[in-house]
Amino acid sequence: MTPTEANPRSPVAALVLGWVLPGAGHAYGGRWGKAVLFFLAITGLVVAGLVLADGTNLLPRRLWFAAQVCAGGPALALTPVSQYIASRGPIDWADPYHEMGTLYTAVAGFLNVLVMMDAYTRLAYPHRLQETADEEEDA
Amino acid sequence: MWDVVASFFADLVSADNPLWLYYPLCLVVAVAYKATKFDDPKRIVLAALHFFVSVTLGMFALAVVFYLIARFL
Repeated sequence: MTPTEANPRSPVAALVLGWVLPGAGHAYGGRWGKAVLFFLAITGLVVAGLVLADGTNLLPRRLWFAAQVCAGGPALALTPVSQYIASRGPIDWADPYHEMGTLYTAVAGFLNVLVMMDAYTRLAYPHRLQETADEEEDA
Repeated sequence: MWDVVASFFADLVSADNPLWLYYPLCLVVAVAYKATKFDDPKRIVLAALHFFVSVTLGMFALAVVFYLIARFL
C-alpha cells in the first residue's frame, strides 16, 4: 500500500513507528489521544510486568521473548536491565508473581501487534473502517 | 457443594493469590482493544466495561466448571 494524494501518510511507516514506540503509529496518523492511550496501556503493562517479576523476565533466551519483543521500544530498552538483574542471582521461576509478570509483558506485546495493525489499517483503508463502525452502530 | 464453590471464590480474592492481577490486565486489554474499534471516548468506555464484565464472568464460569470437575471427578 502506497500513500495516496488524499492521504499522504504511509501505512507502513505507521506500522513501523507503532513498533518502535507503542502509539506512535496513531500519532503519525494524527490521532494523538489514542496514541497517548496506547502508549500508556502498553508501556504500563511492560513496566508493571517487569516490576512483578522483580525485573527478571525480559530474557531473550526464553520463548516468551518472542511475544514480549512485539511491545517494541520499551521492551527492548528494558531487556539489558532485566539481563543484568537476572545475572546477579538465581531466579524463582515457580513464583506465581514472576509468572504473572511474564504474562503481563507478553500480553503487552500481543496488544501492540493489534495496535500496530490498527494504525496501518486506518491509513490504508480509512473508508472500510468507517463503514464497519457505521454497521456496528446500526446493529 | 455450594460451600466448595464459595471457598473457591474466597481463595480467588485473597491477597496471597496473584490471580487478582488478572483484573487490571483484563481492564487494560479491554480499553485498548475497544479503542481500536471506536473513536468516541464514551463508546470506548462503555464497550470496554461490557467486554471486561463479559470476559470476567466467562472466566469465572469456566473456573467453576474446571474446579468442580477436578474436585468431584
